[in-house]
Amino acid sequence: MKEIQLNVNGKDYSLNIDENMRLIDLLRDKLGLLGTKEGCGEGECGACTVIMDGETVTSCLVMAFQAHGSEILTIEGLESNGKIHPIQQAFIDVGAVQCGFCTPGMIMSAKALLDKNPNPTREEIREGISGNLCRCTGYNKIVDGVELAINYIEEGK
Amino acid sequence: MALEEVYKGENVDEVVELLDKYGKDAKIIAGGTDIVIDLRNNRIDPKVLIDISSIEELKGIKDKGEYIEIGAGVSFTQVVENPLFERNLYGLNKACHMVGSPQIRNKGTLGGNIANGSPAADSIPPLICLNSTLILKSVRGRREISIEDYYKDENEKIRPDELLVSIGFKKPKENQVLSFAKLGLRKALAISRLSIAILVELDEEGKIINIEVASGSLGKYPMRELELEQFLLGKKLEDSTVDEGVLVLQRAMEKRLAGRSTFPYKRVAVDRMFREALEEAMKYLDEVRL
Ligand code: FES
Ligand code: FES
Repeated sequence: MKEIQLNVNGKDYSLNIDENMRLIDLLRDKLGLLGTKEGCGEGECGACTVIMDGETVTSCLVMAFQAHGSEILTIEGLESNGKIHPIQQAFIDVGAVQCGFCTPGMIMSAKALLDKNPNPTREEIREGISGNLCRCTGYNKIVDGVELAINYIEEGK
Repeated sequence: MALEEVYKGENVDEVVELLDKYGKDAKIIAGGTDIVIDLRNNRIDPKVLIDISSIEELKGIKDKGEYIEIGAGVSFTQVVENPLFERNLYGLNKACHMVGSPQIRNKGTLGGNIANGSPAADSIPPLICLNSTLILKSVRGRREISIEDYYKDENEKIRPDELLVSIGFKKPKENQVLSFAKLGLRKALAISRLSIAILVELDEEGKIINIEVASGSLGKYPMRELELEQFLLGKKLEDSTVDEGVLVLQRAMEKRLAGRSTFPYKRVAVDRMFREALEEAMKYLDEVRL
């Protein structure tokens, strides 16, 4: 057992973890944050994407103890005052969600992209979500969703 | 997994002391993009894991005038975003940009790619062209090995008590350029990986007066393509020379890969990759001459 401190979605935690636990296990099993999904477990699909200290990471490839002292943002951390994030709203509005398994990771990648580059081209959006696989949508609706989110964010929606 | 102890390293001194204490039982973890998979597949089974991902002194890219030093904890994203690797070093930028996905580039490091000795380390050939040096530390002191020897020489490895702290190389001259080409495939198709890096300088008449070519996945490890270099040195880059150069490279790789199922494919693909890297290098050199 190892004790670590970290901040998840704005809350500080002090946790006893198993040495070989991964960040995704910590989030799902210890904290019950089930929005973060495990697909491949090998860094290929992006379903487990979270934002760690401002950058997207695949949480299946991060050991939990490595996150000691870090700030983690998961899909659950995007709502504020009971209102979902503009990217989430935009995904719903354009129909970018089918089965939804890829969606939380996809939205975290989109968020990291827009935080860095608030006005990306379609090409840049595709590149930004290139580490997230979706087996349902064919990606066009997802790119549409991110584009709409840019408007929503500008309008302060 | 029989992990008994995990450490979150705070500085290099602490880490080398842990390595001194645990030696072979310890494994360094930085970005984790290879190690976590290896741990879970039981390909490695360390008792101790030492994380170096939060050590600031390993995360810098230092411009030392004639030299550049890239800390072992520098992520691929950091390389891609650093203006030092824009102009005549853009081949290194391109190589790092073509690694994995944004998430993998945010965490994965050049240092990890080297220290894990992954045979398909696509980001390595540009570092070989630059004659990079690996800088190692242990409680015994500091040691340097050339990256080329590290790959080809059984005796030039990172010892169990040593930490790779940085990768250093001399900046190419303004009229030299480093270029890179790689088959852009995801891991799912990793069998057909292949990359080529070229560092080249021409004289006023357009003759090659300096050339280094390195390949990834054309042999057991990333390596210099000496026969091709020798063939090209002193020549002008006319179409016939390039065509012949391709044949020289194909003959060299055939000796290493003949009989492997991937050989026929790689033989064709290398033609394209070599030409792409060369064309990009020439484009840059034309621009600086104007
Ligand atoms: S589950 Fe982490 S990338 Fe697929
Ligand atoms: S919506 Fe099903 S995987 Fe993307």
